[in-house]
Amino acid sequence: MLEWIQRGLSQGRITTRYPREPEPAPAGYHGGIDVLDAEDAPPGLEAVCPTGAIGVDRHGDLELDRAKCILCGECVRCDPRRFAFHGRYETASRSRAALVLDGQDHPPSRQTREALGQQARMLRRSIHVRHIDCGSDGSEEWEIQALWNPYYDIQRLGYFLTNAPRHADILLVTGGVTGPMRAPLQRTWEVMPEPKALIAVGTDACSGGLAASGGLAGSGGLAGAGGLAGAGGLAGAGAVAGGNLLSAGGVDALLPVDVYVPGSPPAPIAIMHGLLLATGLLADTKAAA
Amino acid sequence: MSPTTASRQSAAMELPGYDQLGASIEPAPPGEVRLRVGAPAFASAAKTMKEGGARFVTMFLADTPERSLVAAFALHGKLILVGAPAGADTAFEPVGSWWPAASWAERELSERHHVRFGGEDHAAQLTAPDPDFVGRQVSGLDVFSIPYGPVRSGIFEAIQFHIETGGEDVSRIHTRPFFKHRGMEARFGGLAPDVAAHVAERVAGISSCAYASCFSQAVERALGIQAPQRAERWRAVYCELERMACHLDVIAKEAETTALYVGQARFQILKEQVMRLRSRLTGNRFGRGMIVPGGVRGEGMMEHDEVLAALDEFERELRRDRRMFLGTASMTDRLVGSGHLQRRLVEEYGGVGPLARGSGLSTDARHERPYGNYTRIGLRVVSERDADAMARVKVRFGEISESLRILRQTVDHLRRRDGELQAMPAAGGEGAACGWVEAPQGELVMWVELRQGTISRVHIASPSLRNWALFDHAFPKDVLTDFAFIEHSFGLTPAGADR
Repeated sequence: MLEWIQRGLSQGRITTRYPREPEPAPAGYHGGIDVLDAEDAPPGLEAVCPTGAIGVDRHGDLELDRAKCILCGECVRCDPRRFAFHGRYETASRSRAALVLDGQDHPPSRQTREALGQQARMLRRSIHVRHIDCGSDGSEEWEIQALWNPYYDIQRLGYFLTNAPRHADILLVTGGVTGPMRAPLQRTWEVMPEPKALIAVGTDACSGGLAASGGLAGSGGLAGAGGLAGAGGLAGAGAVAGGNLLSAGGVDALLPVDVYVPGSPPAPIAIMHGLLLATGLLADTKAAA
Repeated sequence: MSPTTASRQSAAMELPGYDQLGASIEPAPPGEVRLRVGAPAFASAAKTMKEGGARFVTMFLADTPERSLVAAFALHGKLILVGAPAGADTAFEPVGSWWPAASWAERELSERHHVRFGGEDHAAQLTAPDPDFVGRQVSGLDVFSIPYGPVRSGIFEAIQFHIETGGEDVSRIHTRPFFKHRGMEARFGGLAPDVAAHVAERVAGISSCAYASCFSQAVERALGIQAPQRAERWRAVYCELERMACHLDVIAKEAETTALYVGQARFQILKEQVMRLRSRLTGNRFGRGMIVPGGVRGEGMMEHDEVLAALDEFERELRRDRRMFLGTASMTDRLVGSGHLQRRLVEEYGGVGPLARGSGLSTDARHERPYGNYTRIGLRVVSERDADAMARVKVRFGEISESLRILRQTVDHLRRRDGELQAMPAAGGEGAACGWVEAPQGELVMWVELRQGTISRVHIASPSLRNWALFDHAFPKDVLTDFAFIEHSFGLTPAGADR
C-alpha cells in the first residue's frame, strides 16, 4: 500500500486550475464551429449539414445552431471561407437560443471566469450531481467520468457524485430520450429536491443529434425551443426511423433544461463549464427563495 | 480486387452434410463465402455449420440479390453467409431454440422486422423493454428479485439487470438490453458513404474508430476498391489507441470497485494520456472524423517522432503501474475465481473479444481474417485459460502491450514512407459486402448494401450484444457484491449493443 501512496505522490500536481486559470485546448482541437461570414450564403448550403444545424434564409443570411452541430466538419470541408473549427472548450450556454449564432462569438472573458469560480465557492463546496443516460452513444459517459480523474478533479470545486436522486442538486442527462428511458428520466427529475438544475450534456441531449435528425422534415427546432417546455410536452411523439428514439428535440422537449453543453461529445472542461454555469443558477434560485 | 467466385476448396464445402443442403455458391469478395439455400433448408444449414465447428456471428435481412434472411458464421478463416429467400409470409424454422448464440438475433428479427420463426413466445419484448416489467415471480425463503437499472448508480450507460438473490448468493441474473435503441442502422439509409461514416462513429462512441473502420471496409469491399496502405496504417493507429483507452478504462473501473483508489487514479491518468494523444492527432478525443470509406481524411496532426516519444513515456509509466496492480493482493483476491465462464459456454454463445480470450479461446478478427494493416503485421493473440475476471483483466494488459508494439511498428512505417491517403470510390457505385474489425469489445461485423452510390441497408453485429447474452451465466459461484467486478470485466457498451 505504501508503494501506491509513493506512486501517487511521485508525479506532483497534474490537476488543471480551471476555472481560476484558463485551460487552453491542445492545438488543432475541434471544440466547435465558427461562422466566419454569415452573409450572401449560396442557396442550398444548408444541405451540407447531416443534422440540419445550418439554416439559410431568403436574404442569404446564415444561421448555425450549435445545439444540433455534431462537429463532423462537413461544412468546413465544403466552404472553409465561411466555416472554421474553433479550439475552445467553453461552449455551454444557459439558453437554447444563445446557441444559434449568425456570426462570430467571443470566448468568455476573464471576469466571467472569475465570477463562475466565485459562484462555485459561494455554495460552500457541496453540490451533488446525478447522471442519467437516456440514449447516448456512450462517449459522453466517459467524458463525465473523466471529471473525477486526477487531471480534472472536480471534487476540488465541491462537486460530488451521488447515487440517490433525492440528494442531487444537478442532473446530468446524456442522449436524446428513447421511449423506454422517458419514464425513468421523469421520475428521477421529480424526486430531486428544489432548487435543482438540469444539464443536457452532448449534442444528442441538446437537440436529438445525429440519431434523431434523420427522416424528420422541418422539426423547426431553431426558434421555438426556449427553456421551459414543461414536462410531458411531447405526448404523442412518434418513434423515429424504426428506433425507440422519441421525436427530435432532445431533453428539452420533456423537461426544462437549464444549461446546454453541446458537443459530440463535449470535452471534460466543457462539461465542467456547464456545471459551473448551472451552479450560478442554483445560487440565484437559492438567494431568491 | 473484383468479387471472385469462392474457391472450390472452401471449408464450407467439406462439411459433413453439405451435399444435402442443395446450396449454390454466389460470387463474393475475398474472405466471404456466400451460400444460397431454400427457406426450408435454412435451419439445417445452420445445423451443418454448428456441427462443423463454426461460430455463429449474426442473422439479418438483406436485399442482395433479393430479399433474404442471412445468417453469418465464422469458420476456418472465412466468413460464411448462408442466405435464403424471405418473402412476406415465409416461415423459418427457429435456430435460437437449439443454438443460444442465435436467440437474441432471432428475437430482434421477429420483433423489429416481422420475420416469422416458429417456436416459443417470449413474455417481454427484447427490443422495446418496459422499465417497470417485473419478469417472473420468484419464490423461496428470503429470495427476492432486484431490478437494477436502467438508471444506474454512478455514471454508466442505461441497461437493466434482474438479479434474483437470497441476499448473498446470486441464483439467477437476467440481462435486459435495448433501453437505448436509437435505430442507428436505419439512420445510414440514403446517405453518401463519407457522410454515413459519421453515423458509424456514433453507434458506439467509445469505439468510434473501430465502427468507422468496419463500415469503411465494408463499403470498400462492396465497391471493389482498396484503401491505400498508408490509410490502412493510420486506421490501425487510431484503432489501437482506442483499444488501449477502452482496456485502461476497464482496469481503472476494476481498481475503483476494489477501493484501490490510487490505482484507479493511476489508470485514469494513463487513459487520459491516451485520450489527449488522440486529441492531438485528430482534433477529437475519440479520434472521430478521420476514417472514411476509401481511406482517411488526412495525416495525423503530430510529428511521428512525437508520437513515438509519447508512447515510450506511456509505456514506462504503465509498466510500473501494472506490476503494482497485479501485485496488490486486496485487488487480485477479488478478481481471481470471480465470474467464471467455461470455455464450452463461451463457444456455445459465440462469445468474442477479451471475454472469449480470457476463457482460453484465441478468436481475434485481426488474426482469423486479417484485414488492412494486419495483413502485413504479425499479431500475438493474448489468451488466458483461467476464465475468470482476473483472466479477462490479464488479457487486457497483454493486449495493451501488443497494441503498443503494433503502434510503434506502424508509426515507424508511416515515418519512413509517404503515400496516398484516399482512393476515391466511383460515383454511383452499387454492391453489398461484409466488413469486419476487432473492436476493443470483440469482433465487429457489418453488412452494408449500396444502391446508386448511397447506403441502402446496414446491419451491425456488435460484440457487446453477443457477449451480453453470456452475462446471465457469469455468476456460477458468485455473490451479489461481485456484481460490479464481473460487469466491468466484460467491458461492454450498451450503446453498441442496442444500436
